[in-house]
Amino acid sequence: MKKSLKNIFIFLVFLFLFLPIIVLVIFSFNSSELNIVFENFTLNWYINLFDNRELIEAFSNTIIIAIVSTIISVIIGTLGAIGLHKYDFAFKNVINKLLYIPIVIPEIVLGISLLSIYTLFKLELSIYTILLSHIVFSIPFVVVSVRSAISNNVDVLENASYDLGASNFQTLFYVTLPSILSGVKSGALLSFTLSLDDVIISYFTAGPSSNTLPLKIYSMIKTGITPDVYALSTILLLVVFIVLTISILVQMRSIRRNSI
Amino acid sequence: MKKILLVFVLFLLVGCSENKNELNVLNWSSYIPDEVIYDFEDKYDIELNYSTYSSNEELLAKVTSAKEGTYDLIFPSDYMVEIMKSKDMLMMLDKTKLKNYSNIDSRYLNMDFDKGNFYSLPFLAASTLIAYNTETIKDNITSYNDLLNPKYREEIVLLDDQRIIIGIALMALGYDMNETSDTAIDSAKEWLLKLMPNVKLFDSDSPKSFLITKEVNIGLIWNAEAGIAMQENPNIRVVYPKEGFNLSVDNYAILKGSKNVENAYLFIDYLLEGEVMKKIIESYPYYNVNTKTNELLNSMYLSNPASNISDDDFSRATLVKNVGTAIKKFDRVWAEIK
Amino acid sequence: MKKENKFFKYLSLFPISFYVIVLILLPLIYIFCLSFLTSDYYGGINYSLTLSNYLNLVDLVYIKLFIKSFLIALVSTFICICIAYPFVIFVSQKKKIVKNIIMTLVMVPFLTNSLIRTYGWIVLLRKTGIVNTFLEDLNVISSPISFIYNDFGIILGMVYTLLPFMILPLFSAVDKIDKSVIEASYDLGSTSFKTFFNIIVPQTKVGLFNGSLMVFIPAIGYFFIADLLGGGKLMLIGNLIKNQFLSARNWPFGAAVSISLVLITFGLVKIYQKIGGKMDDLGGF
Repeated sequence: MKKSLKNIFIFLVFLFLFLPIIVLVIFSFNSSELNIVFENFTLNWYINLFDNRELIEAFSNTIIIAIVSTIISVIIGTLGAIGLHKYDFAFKNVINKLLYIPIVIPEIVLGISLLSIYTLFKLELSIYTILLSHIVFSIPFVVVSVRSAISNNVDVLENASYDLGASNFQTLFYVTLPSILSGVKSGALLSFTLSLDDVIISYFTAGPSSNTLPLKIYSMIKTGITPDVYALSTILLLVVFIVLTISILVQMRSIRRNSI
Repeated sequence: MKKILLVFVLFLLVGCSENKNELNVLNWSSYIPDEVIYDFEDKYDIELNYSTYSSNEELLAKVTSAKEGTYDLIFPSDYMVEIMKSKDMLMMLDKTKLKNYSNIDSRYLNMDFDKGNFYSLPFLAASTLIAYNTETIKDNITSYNDLLNPKYREEIVLLDDQRIIIGIALMALGYDMNETSDTAIDSAKEWLLKLMPNVKLFDSDSPKSFLITKEVNIGLIWNAEAGIAMQENPNIRVVYPKEGFNLSVDNYAILKGSKNVENAYLFIDYLLEGEVMKKIIESYPYYNVNTKTNELLNSMYLSNPASNISDDDFSRATLVKNVGTAIKKFDRVWAEIK
Repeated sequence: MKKENKFFKYLSLFPISFYVIVLILLPLIYIFCLSFLTSDYYGGINYSLTLSNYLNLVDLVYIKLFIKSFLIALVSTFICICIAYPFVIFVSQKKKIVKNIIMTLVMVPFLTNSLIRTYGWIVLLRKTGIVNTFLEDLNVISSPISFIYNDFGIILGMVYTLLPFMILPLFSAVDKIDKSVIEASYDLGSTSFKTFFNIIVPQTKVGLFNGSLMVFIPAIGYFFIADLLGGGKLMLIGNLIKNQFLSARNWPFGAAVSISLVLITFGLVKIYQKIGGKMDDLGGF
């Protein structure tokens, strides 16, 4: 097949992926609230963004939940991955297998089973139940990505560290963690993005005072989304783009350096 | 590094759990404008957590699955008040705490579902009506049976509410909307199956949007939704069907175990103020049950047939009743037609 | 040589074991038990044992719903494969830096809210939406096309939301194929199609199945896509479960549906392992 045809295909796939995003960016500058035709250019939605209390509160809830759930799942997941690698115990295999459950089962099943357990234990649905639920689905992803970074090399290094008289914690902080850092990082990134965009599990475990941005948008879609939500999304998109561009630039530099 | 993270986590956790002066309200979607809520929060310095539902069944499920005390104030319709009363979920209301109690239109007090209004007070009344766009639908629609016309393929939006929609099928066939005999329910199912090719959408949250954007041209929707659609597009007409129609009275009710009872009364009393109710009813033009507000309403509201029932039409209104375990027949029909 | 430090062992293993037992195993066992109980019709649960929730599932209404839901998930998966395969093959032929940029860009939509993107499709495709208005202005069509609020809308939404989950595992599989094998195949006179089916597919079947799992399983449960793009009319298994828990008040029946879904999932995962798939590759993109 011709190269140009292949490039057109790649372009079309990107068009498909980005079309709705382009729409939301354009309509965030539209003076009409109805999202039907583009009337006039305006920046008002960006300026008035902070007057929408509920939207801002939902947004900050989302960010707080994403940060805290990522930190906690990274700690538990990383320690767990190391422990499961190092030690043998009776139910190790069972634990290892059960860890895959949140990754494979449909989110809705995880959502309703957590809701049922919270109801059973009379836990009040609130921002904490959402937080806990996000930790539940994030940990396995952290364990998997950390595990992929633990190689035999790490064992050798650790043994060397012990031989040189380092304590367990010295070894953990100065030998083990640095050598699996890439796995920890990608696990953290994964759980952060999963938490940021989660609809289904939050939907079942949210309480009255705990709107998250996806839940807020879900309820707004039904009654009509106002362009300030587009404005907020456009700002977020810009942040994502900047971060990604930096990471690509860093990659380019390292590739160039390696080729010299 | 780790210490910094720990401090950060603790800080966030403490930040979230500071004790606030709160009120947890669970209400229908598209029912109270944000402005009214913000004004209340500012006036009384109470943080009002507002969540929504789109059917009485969803309200019941949300309340029963949450721990007691999660929600304070709810807005169940007539038959749901009866069900919740029978499940001992509602708190006895102390009307002396409401200085605006006398504003309530007495026609809506002391109704069958809560004689003496011990557990509930009316907030608004709503009906389910036919609304259609006369630009594209040239026929004169007067009856539910007109909607079966094969010309209207994929032209209808229905409320996503099983009791009301199955009730409408029953009324179309000449039954009472609370009929539960097997023959009646079966023929209602057949009637709905005949209607289905004409139905494009089910939506309770904002069915008006589909009429306004011309996604569909006919709706069996809440009267206020029709009213707003008519303000946006004057070609939209509303019909009180000749077979009768559903009237729902939505009520204030405080849940047993509520932790913010005083704030709930403050909010009810605030909503009973004539000016406040005027703001609500002008944003969502349902039937007003507040005599003070009546004096304040503008001509746009008063001239809108979707927001004002004539006495003649009122005689054909029916309330949904609690049908007890016969509800499983309704569940089943709903699963079969959708 | 290795110092056995009991403290560190417990510190690393206790939280994860506690988590697995209390927050994964217990909820599933509870849902399993729940599926054998009965509900009174106003949301309460009666502690009397029954098989009726499972027997109810064999009802024609629910069998139809299961079949429809699986069909939609299958079609969505198939379309994702049709888009992702050529895409990753073409991308894998690019220079390394271009590859990296393209694969990063694939992740971008994934990092913006999926609901707002779904709403973007509504704005584009409804009857008075951008696409219909545009086509009408060009006189291509005389009356607007119903793109959404039907099966097409649901499938579009699923493909759109889940496509990255197919592209990523498939890309890492295709990118690993030795390019000289493909060239050799061409040299021996194979056509592109033959090369694709004889060389590429067999070598990437694990990645293909991985991607298919990551599309198929969510597509059964993503009730919000069906709600927003299907017009609330057609129900997927996900909608059925949601309704049982959040409006029909019948938790035991919802639990039975969920357990059946879990069993189907486990079956699919077993097949994946049989063909040589590693569990760690699922979701470890």
